[in-house]
Amino acid sequence: MEFKDYYQTLGVARDAAADDIRKAFRKLARKYHPDVSKEPDAEARMKEVNEANAVLSDPEKRAAYDQLGRGYQPGQDFRPPPDWDAGFEFSHRDAPPADFSDFFAELFGRMGARAQGQDHYAKVLLDIEDAFVGATRQIALRVPKADARGRVTLETRTLNVRIPVGVREGQLIRLAGQGAAGAGQPGDLLLEVHFKPHARYRVEGRDLHVDLPVAPWEAALGAVLQVDVPGGALNVRIPAGAQSGRVLRVRGKGIPAAPPGDLLLTLRVLLPPADTPEARELYETMARKLAFDARAAAGDGA
Amino acid sequence: MSDDVLLTLEELVLVCSVTPEWVRERVEEGLLPTAPEWRFSTIAVRRVRRMVALERDFDAAPELAALMADLLEELDALRARVR
Repeated sequence: MEFKDYYQTLGVARDAAADDIRKAFRKLARKYHPDVSKEPDAEARMKEVNEANAVLSDPEKRAAYDQLGRGYQPGQDFRPPPDWDAGFEFSHRDAPPADFSDFFAELFGRMGARAQGQDHYAKVLLDIEDAFVGATRQIALRVPKADARGRVTLETRTLNVRIPVGVREGQLIRLAGQGAAGAGQPGDLLLEVHFKPHARYRVEGRDLHVDLPVAPWEAALGAVLQVDVPGGALNVRIPAGAQSGRVLRVRGKGIPAAPPGDLLLTLRVLLPPADTPEARELYETMARKLAFDARAAAGDGA
Repeated sequence: MSDDVLLTLEELVLVCSVTPEWVRERVEEGLLPTAPEWRFSTIAVRRVRRMVALERDFDAAPELAALMADLLEELDALRARVR
Protein backbone atom coordinates (compact mmCIF):
# COMPACT_ATOMS: atom_id res chain seq x y z
CA MET A 1 0.00 0.00 0.00
CA GLU A 2 1.35 3.40 -0.93
CA PHE A 3 1.63 6.16 1.59
CA LYS A 4 -0.47 9.17 0.58
CA ASP A 5 0.68 12.67 1.42
CA TYR A 6 -2.61 14.44 1.96
CA TYR A 7 -0.86 17.75 2.62
CA GLN A 8 0.76 17.58 -0.78
CA THR A 9 -2.57 16.73 -2.41
CA LEU A 10 -4.12 19.91 -1.02
CA GLY A 11 -0.93 21.93 -1.47
CA VAL A 12 -0.76 23.10 2.14
CA ALA A 13 2.01 23.08 4.77
CA ARG A 14 2.00 20.45 7.49
CA ASP A 15 1.26 23.12 10.08
CA ALA A 16 -1.51 24.75 8.06
CA ALA A 17 -4.42 26.15 10.05
CA ALA A 18 -7.86 24.63 9.63
CA ASP A 19 -8.93 27.75 7.79
CA ASP A 20 -6.11 27.43 5.24
CA ILE A 21 -7.00 23.81 4.65
CA ARG A 22 -10.61 24.73 4.00
CA LYS A 23 -9.56 27.47 1.60
CA ALA A 24 -7.17 25.19 -0.28
CA PHE A 25 -9.82 22.51 -0.53
CA ARG A 26 -12.44 24.89 -1.92
CA LYS A 27 -10.05 26.23 -4.50
CA LEU A 28 -9.32 22.71 -5.72
CA ALA A 29 -12.96 21.63 -5.47
CA ARG A 30 -13.80 24.47 -7.81
CA LYS A 31 -10.92 23.67 -10.16
CA TYR A 32 -11.78 19.98 -10.45
CA HIS A 33 -15.55 20.20 -10.18
CA PRO A 34 -16.61 17.40 -12.56
CA ASP A 35 -19.41 19.43 -14.16
CA VAL A 36 -17.31 22.35 -15.27
CA SER A 37 -13.65 21.34 -15.13
CA LYS A 38 -11.68 21.32 -18.35
CA GLU A 39 -8.90 19.28 -16.77
CA PRO A 40 -8.63 15.83 -18.40
CA ASP A 41 -8.30 13.90 -15.13
CA ALA A 42 -10.72 16.06 -13.13
CA GLU A 43 -12.71 13.19 -11.69
CA ALA A 44 -9.68 11.27 -10.43
CA ARG A 45 -8.16 14.43 -8.97
CA MET A 46 -11.44 15.36 -7.29
CA LYS A 47 -11.48 11.96 -5.57
CA GLU A 48 -7.98 12.49 -4.22
CA VAL A 49 -8.83 16.00 -3.08
CA ASN A 50 -12.00 14.80 -1.34
CA GLU A 51 -10.10 12.04 0.39
CA ALA A 52 -7.34 14.38 1.57
CA ASN A 53 -9.94 16.84 2.82
CA ALA A 54 -11.88 14.13 4.64
CA VAL A 55 -8.77 13.47 6.72
CA LEU A 56 -7.25 16.93 7.14
CA SER A 57 -10.51 18.76 7.86
CA ASP A 58 -11.30 16.40 10.73
CA PRO A 59 -9.16 17.22 13.79
CA GLU A 60 -9.25 13.63 15.08
CA LYS A 61 -8.30 12.05 11.80
CA ARG A 62 -5.69 14.69 11.11
CA ALA A 63 -3.98 14.13 14.46
CA ALA A 64 -3.90 10.37 13.91
CA TYR A 65 -2.59 10.81 10.38
CA ASP A 66 0.14 13.22 11.51
CA GLN A 67 1.32 10.85 14.21
CA LEU A 68 1.38 7.90 11.87
CA GLY A 69 2.78 9.57 8.80
CA ARG A 70 5.93 10.96 10.38
CA GLY A 71 8.90 10.02 8.25
CA TYR A 72 6.97 8.60 5.28
CA GLN A 73 7.42 9.81 1.72
CA PRO A 74 4.53 9.84 -0.75
CA GLY A 75 4.40 6.61 -2.74
CA GLN A 76 6.55 4.77 -0.21
CA ASP A 77 5.32 1.34 0.80
CA PHE A 78 3.27 1.72 3.95
CA ARG A 79 2.12 -0.68 6.64
CA PRO A 80 0.39 0.74 9.68
CA PRO A 81 1.83 -0.66 12.90
CA PRO A 82 -0.55 -2.95 14.79
CA ASP A 83 -2.96 -1.13 17.05
CA TRP A 84 -1.61 2.21 15.92
CA ASP A 85 -5.01 3.78 16.49
CA ALA A 86 -5.41 2.55 20.07
CA GLY A 87 -4.86 6.02 21.49
CA PHE A 88 -7.40 7.73 19.26
CA GLU A 89 -11.09 7.85 19.65
CA PHE A 90 -13.03 8.48 16.49
CA SER A 91 -16.40 9.98 17.16
CA HIS A 92 -17.90 8.82 13.89
CA ARG A 93 -17.11 5.46 12.46
CA ASP A 94 -18.50 5.57 9.00
CA ALA A 95 -17.77 2.96 6.43
CA PRO A 96 -15.25 4.42 4.00
CA PRO A 97 -16.78 5.60 0.74
CA ALA A 98 -16.06 2.85 -1.75
CA ASP A 99 -14.10 5.16 -4.04
CA PHE A 100 -11.59 6.23 -1.43
CA SER A 101 -8.21 4.50 -1.56
CA ASP A 102 -7.11 1.36 0.27
CA PHE A 103 -4.79 3.61 2.24
CA PHE A 104 -7.76 5.56 3.60
CA ALA A 105 -9.76 2.41 4.30
CA GLU A 106 -6.88 0.86 6.21
CA LEU A 107 -6.39 3.91 8.41
CA PHE A 108 -9.89 5.13 9.01
CA GLY A 109 -12.19 2.34 8.01
CA ARG A 110 -12.76 0.99 11.51
CA MET A 111 -16.33 0.41 12.37
CA GLY A 112 -18.39 -1.95 14.43
CA ALA A 113 -19.67 -5.05 12.70
CA ARG A 114 -23.23 -4.53 11.63
CA ALA A 115 -25.87 -6.35 13.60
CA GLN A 116 -28.41 -6.35 10.82
CA GLY A 117 -27.99 -6.98 7.16
CA GLN A 118 -28.13 -3.81 5.11
CA ASP A 119 -28.90 -2.87 1.59
CA HIS A 120 -25.77 -2.21 -0.37
CA TYR A 121 -25.32 -0.14 -3.41
CA ALA A 122 -22.86 -0.09 -6.29
CA LYS A 123 -22.52 1.30 -9.78
CA VAL A 124 -21.94 -0.89 -12.82
CA LEU A 125 -20.66 0.20 -16.20
CA LEU A 126 -22.25 -1.62 -19.14
CA ASP A 127 -21.91 -1.55 -22.88
CA ILE A 128 -24.84 -0.03 -24.73
CA GLU A 129 -25.15 -3.31 -26.62
CA ASP A 130 -26.01 -5.05 -23.35
CA ALA A 131 -29.32 -3.16 -23.23
CA PHE A 132 -30.31 -4.64 -26.59
CA VAL A 133 -29.43 -8.27 -26.18
CA GLY A 134 -29.14 -8.67 -22.44
CA ALA A 135 -26.00 -10.11 -20.93
CA THR A 136 -24.47 -11.81 -17.98
CA ARG A 137 -21.74 -9.64 -16.57
CA GLN A 138 -19.19 -10.52 -13.99
CA ILE A 139 -18.70 -7.55 -11.76
CA ALA A 140 -16.16 -7.05 -9.02
CA LEU A 141 -17.33 -5.10 -6.00
CA ARG A 142 -15.12 -3.74 -3.26
CA VAL A 143 -16.84 -4.48 -0.02
CA PRO A 144 -15.73 -3.22 3.37
CA LYS A 145 -15.30 -6.17 5.75
CA ALA A 146 -14.64 -5.88 9.45
CA ASP A 147 -12.12 -8.28 10.94
CA ALA A 148 -12.15 -9.66 14.49
CA ARG A 149 -10.64 -6.45 15.88
CA GLY A 150 -13.20 -4.32 14.13
CA ARG A 151 -10.80 -2.86 11.58
CA VAL A 152 -12.11 -2.67 8.07
CA THR A 153 -10.43 -3.76 4.90
CA LEU A 154 -11.81 -3.65 1.41
CA GLU A 155 -12.45 -7.09 0.00
CA THR A 156 -13.23 -7.87 -3.59
CA ARG A 157 -16.37 -9.85 -4.20
CA THR A 158 -17.21 -11.17 -7.64
CA LEU A 159 -20.81 -11.51 -8.70
CA ASN A 160 -22.45 -12.78 -11.84
CA VAL A 161 -25.28 -10.43 -12.73
CA ARG A 162 -27.87 -11.01 -15.37
CA ILE A 163 -28.49 -7.76 -17.21
CA PRO A 164 -32.09 -7.68 -18.46
CA VAL A 165 -32.88 -6.62 -22.02
CA GLY A 166 -34.06 -3.02 -22.09
CA VAL A 167 -32.00 -1.77 -19.17
CA ARG A 168 -31.56 2.00 -19.15
CA GLU A 169 -29.10 4.62 -17.96
CA GLY A 170 -29.60 5.26 -14.26
CA GLN A 171 -31.81 2.23 -13.72
CA LEU A 172 -31.46 0.27 -10.53
CA ILE A 173 -31.18 -3.51 -10.56
CA ARG A 174 -32.09 -5.07 -7.23
CA LEU A 175 -30.40 -8.33 -6.29
CA ALA A 176 -32.30 -9.73 -3.33
CA GLY A 177 -30.16 -11.08 -0.53
CA GLN A 178 -26.81 -9.94 -1.99
CA GLY A 179 -26.27 -6.99 0.31
CA ALA A 180 -24.31 -6.97 3.54
CA ALA A 181 -24.70 -10.11 5.56
CA GLY A 182 -25.42 -9.41 9.19
CA ALA A 183 -26.79 -11.42 12.05
CA GLY A 184 -30.23 -11.31 10.49
CA GLN A 185 -31.35 -11.51 6.89
CA PRO A 186 -28.83 -10.19 4.42
CA GLY A 187 -29.91 -6.97 2.73
CA ASP A 188 -30.33 -6.40 -0.97
CA LEU A 189 -27.72 -5.21 -3.42
CA LEU A 190 -28.77 -2.29 -5.60
CA LEU A 191 -26.82 -1.84 -8.81
CA GLU A 192 -27.05 1.47 -10.63
CA VAL A 193 -26.57 1.04 -14.37
CA HIS A 194 -24.42 3.38 -16.44
CA PHE A 195 -23.33 3.00 -20.03
CA LYS A 196 -19.76 3.31 -21.18
CA PRO A 197 -19.33 6.08 -23.73
CA HIS A 198 -19.52 4.64 -27.24
CA ALA A 199 -17.88 5.95 -30.40
CA ARG A 200 -21.09 5.67 -32.47
CA TYR A 201 -24.02 5.22 -30.14
CA ARG A 202 -25.56 7.64 -27.69
CA VAL A 203 -28.49 6.79 -25.48
CA GLU A 204 -31.08 9.28 -24.29
CA GLY A 205 -33.76 7.68 -22.19
CA ARG A 206 -34.89 4.80 -24.37
CA ASP A 207 -33.86 6.39 -27.65
CA LEU A 208 -30.68 5.45 -29.45
CA HIS A 209 -28.90 8.20 -31.40
CA VAL A 210 -26.54 7.26 -34.22
CA ASP A 211 -24.74 9.42 -36.78
CA LEU A 212 -25.18 8.07 -40.30
CA PRO A 213 -22.63 9.17 -42.91
CA VAL A 214 -24.12 9.33 -46.43
CA ALA A 215 -22.75 10.18 -49.87
CA PRO A 216 -24.19 13.30 -51.58
CA TRP A 217 -26.03 11.20 -54.19
CA GLU A 218 -27.54 8.95 -51.51
CA ALA A 219 -28.95 12.02 -49.80
CA ALA A 220 -30.04 13.73 -53.01
CA LEU A 221 -31.56 10.75 -54.81
CA GLY A 222 -32.70 8.72 -51.85
CA ALA A 223 -31.40 5.27 -51.01
CA VAL A 224 -31.92 2.21 -48.88
CA LEU A 225 -28.93 1.77 -46.61
CA GLN A 226 -27.90 -0.92 -44.20
CA VAL A 227 -27.20 0.52 -40.75
CA ASP A 228 -25.38 -1.41 -38.06
CA VAL A 229 -27.18 -1.17 -34.74
CA PRO A 230 -26.63 -3.13 -31.52
CA GLY A 231 -27.93 -6.64 -31.98
CA GLY A 232 -27.97 -6.61 -35.77
CA ALA A 233 -28.29 -4.55 -38.94
CA LEU A 234 -31.28 -2.61 -40.21
CA ASN A 235 -32.35 -1.44 -43.66
CA VAL A 236 -33.26 2.22 -43.60
CA ARG A 237 -34.79 4.25 -46.41
CA ILE A 238 -33.23 7.68 -46.93
CA PRO A 239 -35.79 9.97 -48.54
CA ALA A 240 -34.73 11.83 -51.70
CA GLY A 241 -33.60 15.39 -51.02
CA ALA A 242 -32.40 14.73 -47.48
CA GLN A 243 -29.98 17.32 -46.15
CA SER A 244 -27.05 16.90 -43.80
CA GLY A 245 -28.18 17.15 -40.18
CA ARG A 246 -31.64 15.79 -40.88
CA VAL A 247 -32.79 13.35 -38.23
CA LEU A 248 -34.63 10.21 -39.30
CA ARG A 249 -36.70 8.47 -36.67
CA VAL A 250 -37.12 4.72 -36.90
CA ARG A 251 -39.90 3.90 -34.48
CA GLY A 252 -39.46 1.06 -32.04
CA LYS A 253 -35.83 0.35 -32.89
CA GLY A 254 -34.30 2.00 -29.83
CA ILE A 255 -33.76 0.22 -26.56
CA PRO A 256 -36.18 -2.70 -26.39
CA ALA A 257 -38.65 -2.10 -23.58
CA ALA A 258 -42.40 -1.75 -23.28
CA PRO A 259 -42.86 0.52 -25.16
CA PRO A 260 -39.52 0.37 -26.99
CA GLY A 261 -37.50 3.51 -27.72
CA ASP A 262 -36.81 4.91 -31.18
CA LEU A 263 -33.68 4.89 -33.30
CA LEU A 264 -32.68 8.42 -34.31
CA LEU A 265 -30.33 8.65 -37.26
CA THR A 266 -28.61 11.98 -37.88
CA LEU A 267 -27.56 12.21 -41.52
CA ARG A 268 -24.05 13.50 -42.18
CA VAL A 269 -23.40 14.14 -45.84
CA LEU A 270 -19.73 13.47 -46.55
CA LEU A 271 -18.24 14.94 -49.72
CA PRO A 272 -15.95 12.79 -51.85
CA PRO A 273 -12.57 14.54 -52.12
CA ALA A 274 -11.83 16.30 -55.41
CA ASP A 275 -8.40 14.74 -55.63
CA THR A 276 -8.48 13.18 -59.10
CA PRO A 277 -9.08 14.82 -62.49
CA GLU A 278 -12.36 12.87 -62.83
CA ALA A 279 -13.62 13.98 -59.46
CA ARG A 280 -12.71 17.59 -60.16
CA GLU A 281 -14.50 17.40 -63.49
CA LEU A 282 -17.67 16.05 -61.87
CA TYR A 283 -17.70 18.90 -59.35
CA GLU A 284 -17.02 21.45 -62.10
CA THR A 285 -19.85 20.02 -64.19
CA MET A 286 -22.21 20.35 -61.24
CA ALA A 287 -21.07 23.90 -60.62
CA ARG A 288 -21.74 24.79 -64.28
CA LYS A 289 -25.03 23.01 -64.73
CA LEU A 290 -26.84 23.20 -61.40
CA ALA A 291 -27.02 26.95 -60.80
CA PHE A 292 -27.01 26.23 -57.08
CA ASP A 293 -26.47 28.98 -54.53
CA ALA A 294 -25.95 27.34 -51.13
CA ARG A 295 -26.43 30.61 -49.20
CA ALA A 296 -29.68 31.37 -50.99
CA ALA A 297 -30.85 27.75 -50.54
CA ALA A 298 -30.16 27.94 -46.83
CA GLY A 299 -32.19 31.16 -46.79
CA ASP A 300 -29.89 32.96 -44.40
CA GLY A 301 -28.75 35.56 -46.93
CA ALA A 302 -25.32 35.68 -45.32
CA MET B 1 -36.92 12.83 -21.44
CA SER B 2 -39.36 10.80 -19.45
CA ASP B 3 -38.06 8.01 -17.33
CA ASP B 4 -40.28 5.62 -15.47
CA VAL B 5 -37.64 4.21 -13.17
CA LEU B 6 -38.69 5.70 -9.86
CA LEU B 7 -36.94 5.28 -6.53
CA THR B 8 -38.51 5.21 -3.12
CA LEU B 9 -37.22 7.57 -0.44
CA GLU B 10 -35.35 4.64 1.13
CA GLU B 11 -33.60 3.83 -2.13
CA LEU B 12 -32.73 7.44 -2.82
CA VAL B 13 -31.24 7.80 0.65
CA LEU B 14 -29.13 4.69 0.14
CA VAL B 15 -27.97 5.55 -3.35
CA CYS B 16 -27.03 9.14 -2.48
CA SER B 17 -25.77 8.63 1.10
CA VAL B 18 -28.06 11.26 2.60
CA THR B 19 -30.51 11.13 5.47
CA PRO B 20 -34.28 11.05 4.97
CA GLU B 21 -34.45 14.38 6.88
CA TRP B 22 -32.08 15.99 4.41
CA VAL B 23 -34.39 14.95 1.57
CA ARG B 24 -37.59 15.95 3.37
CA GLU B 25 -36.34 19.44 4.17
CA ARG B 26 -35.41 20.11 0.59
CA VAL B 27 -38.61 18.71 -0.84
CA GLU B 28 -40.64 20.84 1.57
CA GLU B 29 -38.65 23.93 0.57
CA GLY B 30 -39.35 23.17 -3.09
CA LEU B 31 -35.68 22.62 -3.89
CA LEU B 32 -36.05 19.02 -4.95
CA PRO B 33 -38.86 17.89 -7.22
CA THR B 34 -40.59 14.59 -6.50
CA ALA B 35 -42.85 12.40 -8.54
CA PRO B 36 -46.21 11.61 -6.92
CA GLU B 37 -46.15 9.65 -3.65
CA TRP B 38 -42.57 10.54 -2.78
CA ARG B 39 -40.94 8.79 -5.68
CA PHE B 40 -37.74 10.05 -7.25
CA SER B 41 -36.57 9.86 -10.84
CA THR B 42 -33.01 9.06 -11.89
CA ILE B 43 -32.69 12.75 -12.73
CA ALA B 44 -33.43 13.51 -9.09
CA VAL B 45 -30.59 11.17 -8.08
CA ARG B 46 -28.15 13.22 -10.10
CA ARG B 47 -29.58 16.43 -8.65
CA VAL B 48 -29.29 15.20 -5.07
CA ARG B 49 -25.67 14.16 -5.58
CA ARG B 50 -24.84 17.57 -6.97
CA MET B 51 -26.61 19.43 -4.18
CA VAL B 52 -24.91 17.30 -1.53
CA ALA B 53 -21.47 17.95 -3.01
CA LEU B 54 -22.07 21.69 -3.30
CA GLU B 55 -23.42 22.04 0.21
CA ARG B 56 -20.56 19.98 1.63
CA ASP B 57 -17.63 21.29 -0.40
CA PHE B 58 -18.52 24.98 -0.26
CA ASP B 59 -20.78 25.20 2.79
CA ALA B 60 -23.41 26.36 0.30
CA ALA B 61 -26.88 27.21 1.54
CA PRO B 62 -29.41 24.64 0.25
CA GLU B 63 -31.10 27.33 -1.86
CA LEU B 64 -27.80 28.20 -3.53
CA ALA B 65 -26.95 24.55 -4.17
CA ALA B 66 -30.39 24.10 -5.75
CA LEU B 67 -29.85 27.15 -7.94
CA MET B 68 -26.50 25.75 -9.10
CA ALA B 69 -28.19 22.40 -9.77
CA ASP B 70 -30.81 24.19 -11.90
CA LEU B 71 -28.05 25.81 -13.95
CA LEU B 72 -26.09 22.57 -14.31
CA GLU B 73 -29.22 20.76 -15.48
CA GLU B 74 -29.77 23.43 -18.09
CA LEU B 75 -26.14 23.03 -19.12
CA ASP B 76 -26.66 19.26 -19.44
CA ALA B 77 -29.66 19.82 -21.71
CA LEU B 78 -27.78 22.32 -23.90
CA ARG B 79 -24.73 20.08 -24.13
CA ALA B 80 -26.92 17.16 -25.18
CA ARG B 81 -28.39 19.31 -27.96
CA VAL B 82 -24.99 20.48 -29.18
CA ARG B 83 -23.66 16.95 -29.40
